[in-house]
Amino acid sequence: MKLVPLLLVAALWQAASVSGLLPPAVLPSLSSVLAALVSLIRSGEIFPHTAVSFLRAGTGFLLAVVFGTALGLAMARLPAIQRGVEPILLSIYPVPKPALIPLFMVWLGIGDVSKITVIALSCLVPVVISSFNGARAVDDLLLWSARARGTPEHRLLWRVVLPATLPQIATGVRTAIAIALIVMVSSEFISSEHGLGYLIFTYGGVGSDDAMLAVVLYLTAIGFLIDWVYVAGLRRLLAWHAFAH
Amino acid sequence: MRFSETALALDSIDLNVAEREFVTIVGPSGCGKSTLLYLIGGFLKPTTGTLSLRGKPIIGPGPDRGIVFQRYSLFPWLTARRNISYGLEELGVARADRERIVAEHIRLVHLQGFEDRYPRELSGGMQQRVALAQTLVCKPDILLMDEPFGALDAQTRRILQDEMRRIWHSNTKTVLFVTHDVEEAIALGTRVVVMSSRPGRIKEVIKRDFDVADGDEFEASPQFAALKLRIWHSIKEEVEAARS
Amino acid sequence: MPSRTETVGTVLQRTLPLCTLLLAWELVARTGLVNAYVFPPISTIVIRWISLFVSGSVFSPLGATLWRALAGLGAAIAVGAPLGLLMGRTRWAQWFFEPLFSFFFPLPKIALIPLYVHLFGLFSFSKIMLIFTDCLFPIVIFTYHGARGVSPIYLWSAQARGTSQVRIFWRVVLPLSLASLYDGIQVAVVVAVLVAVVSEMISGGGGLGHAMMLAFRYGDVPSAFAFLVTISLIGFLLYKATQLLRDRLLFWHVTETET
Repeated sequence: MKLVPLLLVAALWQAASVSGLLPPAVLPSLSSVLAALVSLIRSGEIFPHTAVSFLRAGTGFLLAVVFGTALGLAMARLPAIQRGVEPILLSIYPVPKPALIPLFMVWLGIGDVSKITVIALSCLVPVVISSFNGARAVDDLLLWSARARGTPEHRLLWRVVLPATLPQIATGVRTAIAIALIVMVSSEFISSEHGLGYLIFTYGGVGSDDAMLAVVLYLTAIGFLIDWVYVAGLRRLLAWHAFAH
Repeated sequence: MRFSETALALDSIDLNVAEREFVTIVGPSGCGKSTLLYLIGGFLKPTTGTLSLRGKPIIGPGPDRGIVFQRYSLFPWLTARRNISYGLEELGVARADRERIVAEHIRLVHLQGFEDRYPRELSGGMQQRVALAQTLVCKPDILLMDEPFGALDAQTRRILQDEMRRIWHSNTKTVLFVTHDVEEAIALGTRVVVMSSRPGRIKEVIKRDFDVADGDEFEASPQFAALKLRIWHSIKEEVEAARS
Repeated sequence: MPSRTETVGTVLQRTLPLCTLLLAWELVARTGLVNAYVFPPISTIVIRWISLFVSGSVFSPLGATLWRALAGLGAAIAVGAPLGLLMGRTRWAQWFFEPLFSFFFPLPKIALIPLYVHLFGLFSFSKIMLIFTDCLFPIVIFTYHGARGVSPIYLWSAQARGTSQVRIFWRVVLPLSLASLYDGIQVAVVVAVLVAVVSEMISGGGGLGHAMMLAFRYGDVPSAFAFLVTISLIGFLLYKATQLLRDRLLFWHVTETET
């Protein structure tokens, strides 16, 4: 049903390659790309690189989500924090985060730490913004209703503001996932010895286009899967919210 | 009660509410009736004067003064059941007791079968039933209601008014009920407070001297019509005075 | 109405944390608490940034990056807007293209840099192609949703007045979809600058990204910072420009709630 257009394009590609319209020097055939992918999986070569890439991205992402949510909520509840943090965030906002990669490598070395830091910083911005805006929009009456039923001030954030803001946080997190992937690949292109980005870059460099495209396809599939799982999980966790998607 | 340099919301309110009274408050729009309720609820602090409940001063919100708002009383991320048990959780009630009390209250407001629905799956009328139940579980000394049926369609409103009367008869709490609907005020309140336009003062307090049984016959009675007219004229005076 | 002194006060309040940070940076760098080589003082960076403009050495890379970003963006609009409209109004286009865009959306298009270099070379063309690919997505998606969301009431009203399908498209669907298209353009502008810079960082060929990488490679950290600042400014200014233009271009636009 929804797969048919994809299959059509795949068929077109293969047909073009086989018929000679698309010479392998320009673009390898779909069959050779798939064969390369299968061999990468069979040999197990792709898995340590997958693990390294996603460990880096995952760590940075999680740090950003936890810290960013807390920061956004704090900014919404305490104007002093908002006034202090907002200008700094606004000045970081226009900087294309991958452009910070070489700088952070100068500061923190070429290892994982610099990459994780840049990923965390990149993911921080959408999470903070969405949790801040969401927390600010929590209706006062909800807070009053909680207070009138015995909730002490210090528990309001955890019992009311956080659950009420979850839908908006979830949207920011979805953006953060996409950003994490982009920065992950960019950082591995710029300098790395492991990871899916490294594989793509290296295979491309030596002309093994079929292997390179195999990894690209693999990465696409993983990215798609992550997003799909995320949205499905969200539908269950946020069943109480009137979700359009 | 002053909001700012220029906005005096309430002026010299002096009201005593006895236990187990159902007092309704009506008045022109903007007269501060909701503000009065929020002051009693402890959500706002008076600029002058004192508020006390059973002799003790009111300092902030608390479960002894339950409140039902027109909207947004319920937590959208909790089911009806969890919303009702929330107050009990905050009070530290043990789980077995909680479940029993929640079940009781679900029966009280006629919500059997809907306990595990989320607010967005409930109609406006059902949501307000949950709001009522979740406040009653905290066993408040006084129940504050801020135009609770104002957002509902006319039919649901009538049904819930009857429900409210029934619940009050079986529970007999002290209720302070704000509404803009004069009929509702008379149908529910044993005493009706009429407020002046801004800055709100208490214009008059009328005791309803006839009984209102369950059912709709009283609506046709001449006493009802007379009282309704009297109160409506009182309010109209205020609206016109404010305009000039 | 807040008084004059109040607004000046709030402005100061807003810039204070940033100023304190910059001041701290300056002091920390100058006192040698950190390696001034990797952490140059703000004053040095600012001076270097100004000198880049005075000497004119910034303009060539700036022009290259800007040209690539705008060309790629322009191509994306030229192809993406009609495509989005088509997808929004014709069943087969929606059926065919929507799954394609959905599937490839999560892929960081950056990963295609080596492929594009292979296909299109190391210089502007491959970068423009990549920017085109990356910007296509937000533009198509926004336009598509905008065209789909055109309220039937507008269409029925036009039909009732005897307007043909084609004319309905031109006179009803198109103007109403333009607002969504513009939302997509606002997103795409930022993407365009980002992709231009990153592709320059990776595959060279001139431009601000490449200039910044070279500066790092030669150990000229202040210049690298200066380029970084320039990059951020470009992105920021372009986005602001789209924001300002929005009111002028879409002055006729009425939001849903108002109708």
